[in-house]
Amino acid sequence: MPIDVSLLNVGAIWPEIIVTLTILTLMVVDLIGGQRVAKQLAGLALLGLGLSAVVIVYQLLLQLGLIGGPVPPTESFLGSFTGDPLSLVFRGIVVLSSTLAILMAERYMYQSGAQVAEFYTLLLGATLGGMLLSGSTEMVMIFIALETLSISSYLLAGYTKLDSRSNEASLKYLLVGSASAAVFLYGMSLLYGLSGGETKLTAIAPRIVDMGFPALLALVLVVAGISFKLAVVPFHQWTPDVYEGAPTPVVAFLSVGSKAAGFALAIRFMTEAFPAYTLQWQTLFAGLAILSMVLGNIVAIAQTSLKRLLAYSSIAQAGYLLIGLAIGTVDGYASLMFYLITYLFMNLGAFAAATLFTLKTGSDDISAFSGLWRKDPFLAVCLSVFLLSLAGIPPFAGFFGKIYLFWAAFQAGAYTLLFVGLVTSVASMYYYLRVVKPMVVRPMSPEVEAYPATNWELPGMRSLQVALGVSVVATVIVGIISNPIVSLMNESIARTPPLQTAKQLSQK
Amino acid sequence: MNLGEGVRLVSFGILALIVLGGALGVVLAPSMVHAAFLLGLVFVGMSGLYLLLNADFVAAAQILIYVGAVNVLLLFAIMLVNRRIPDAAAGKRGLRNTIAGFVCLFVFGSLVNGVVRVPWPISTETPIANSTLRIGEQFFSYYLLPFEAVSILLLLALVGAIILARREFVPDRTESGDQPLVLPERPRAEMDETPKLPETTGRR
Repeated sequence: MPIDVSLLNVGAIWPEIIVTLTILTLMVVDLIGGQRVAKQLAGLALLGLGLSAVVIVYQLLLQLGLIGGPVPPTESFLGSFTGDPLSLVFRGIVVLSSTLAILMAERYMYQSGAQVAEFYTLLLGATLGGMLLSGSTEMVMIFIALETLSISSYLLAGYTKLDSRSNEASLKYLLVGSASAAVFLYGMSLLYGLSGGETKLTAIAPRIVDMGFPALLALVLVVAGISFKLAVVPFHQWTPDVYEGAPTPVVAFLSVGSKAAGFALAIRFMTEAFPAYTLQWQTLFAGLAILSMVLGNIVAIAQTSLKRLLAYSSIAQAGYLLIGLAIGTVDGYASLMFYLITYLFMNLGAFAAATLFTLKTGSDDISAFSGLWRKDPFLAVCLSVFLLSLAGIPPFAGFFGKIYLFWAAFQAGAYTLLFVGLVTSVASMYYYLRVVKPMVVRPMSPEVEAYPATNWELPGMRSLQVALGVSVVATVIVGIISNPIVSLMNESIARTPPLQTAKQLSQK
Repeated sequence: MNLGEGVRLVSFGILALIVLGGALGVVLAPSMVHAAFLLGLVFVGMSGLYLLLNADFVAAAQILIYVGAVNVLLLFAIMLVNRRIPDAAAGKRGLRNTIAGFVCLFVFGSLVNGVVRVPWPISTETPIANSTLRIGEQFFSYYLLPFEAVSILLLLALVGAIILARREFVPDRTESGDQPLVLPERPRAEMDETPKLPETTGRR
């Protein structure tokens, strides 16, 4: 069986190839250079991610026809992978979240005294897994990409080995994650059997059209497996403990990068393999969205640690994002992707601020933040912007993201989702403001009293400053320039084949 | 493989005896090491059965993975623990065995029921002569990307295993003799005793 290499269309995975080469270079450079080059490794990792991001942007512009004529997306590796605009947007989000996580990790790793080379290797490995997951169109590839992401995440969560909470986080994540991977695998094995031995998602779809119960069972199992990655209720139990125990930069990546890859997987799996069961999976995701919004927002109110609060807040945010998936219109997907971009900056920004505060005071209690305004106005302003944006207060990006999501829900006639979303986001303002208000009006806490002046010249601090600055600027600006971004997302969806068929099916 | 009907039947009988006898031995053997070795025997017998079914790749994979990796891992685990576990529940053994026996009988019964009652379609296709070759072709065409991605996954797992196994130490002094580094998020109780670091810690 002769195979033409050009049929493989290897060019579609250039971003992944660059990240892989960066991983290998990192390991070799660390092996040769040892402690002398430890400080340069972050720069190397950032360089690789930057190159990868440039390629992603170039490919996206090429496919949207913004430079040269529009190039139609072609499947690569004989159907294992696709570089369509949908995957490119999500891969871009994963790369960006990893970049910001590395920026805030540099100081953290320095101060914790842990080995840096392996940390960046694993973080890039998780990034690679997330990127591959966003573009996989075949079940073997999906599972391997998912495991690459998961195994790197388990190891990263337990990276600070001397901290018992980090160990606990890693072990919990590993156990729950393995169980959910098994459930996901069982669902996929059912699909493999029901379709008569197909592993490509688009090949499965026509063969399970009239299967009834067995196909629905497979659907539920697959949704359960994906929901674990998205951390939505009731598959969220691992979230607060992992977020509290794992190193903060890792949590930042997990809360955005890993979640974005999960959403890409959910959209692709549902629209390519289950177009015949659209009503069923939309109902399923609508239920998960309502549960997440309600439970995430209510439990967040009772939290005393900022990292735990952000954990429950991220559960609630995943609920908002699921609205876009559950209504399943083009506007829904576009607003999901736009909200994910705003969420990327505001959530990573909030974790960057938490990292800086924790590094200086050793605490992330909400009460410890009182009076921060008087000691460090820059940090206080940044954290306030991120939290207000997460709460959905104008003029920040989060507000516009929510407007687009809720408007799409309104147009699709999903009034229940819209109502729950509106009520819970009003309720969520309470707990976000509970952090913001004491920073400005309350007297200083003992931690803030002992708060040292910030010296940005220390090793790694400059990166943290860049991460905070980029996030805060993006959180302010993305909302204002939301219109071109949303039309870009709409265009991406219009040029993504599986979503086109989904649109036609829903119109029938 | 082209074997005569008689040879096929006799070898199936021998292999079935090996598998069944081995499996009974795994359950009944008093020593865990013996049980583990018998389990290896069961795996070898299974691979022989696969060979009889013309699945030569599966047979080889069975030996490589189950005998070569899983069973050896099992033996390692047993030998690392290396002690005789006193059977505390010796008195309840009879009851336990009875319950386990009933569960096994139930599973066996439902499997037999499934085998006998379902009208299984019997394929009339001729078996592929050289399945390993075909699987190799699939690996390097339709499954090329997963095949390559697994190598990255294994590399990361290897790095992770080394991180977990390595002895972690916090250096008392940085290279230039500055103050010690501390973990930023050690448990609260410890944190209280640790003196707060001045911000000039890392200056070189």
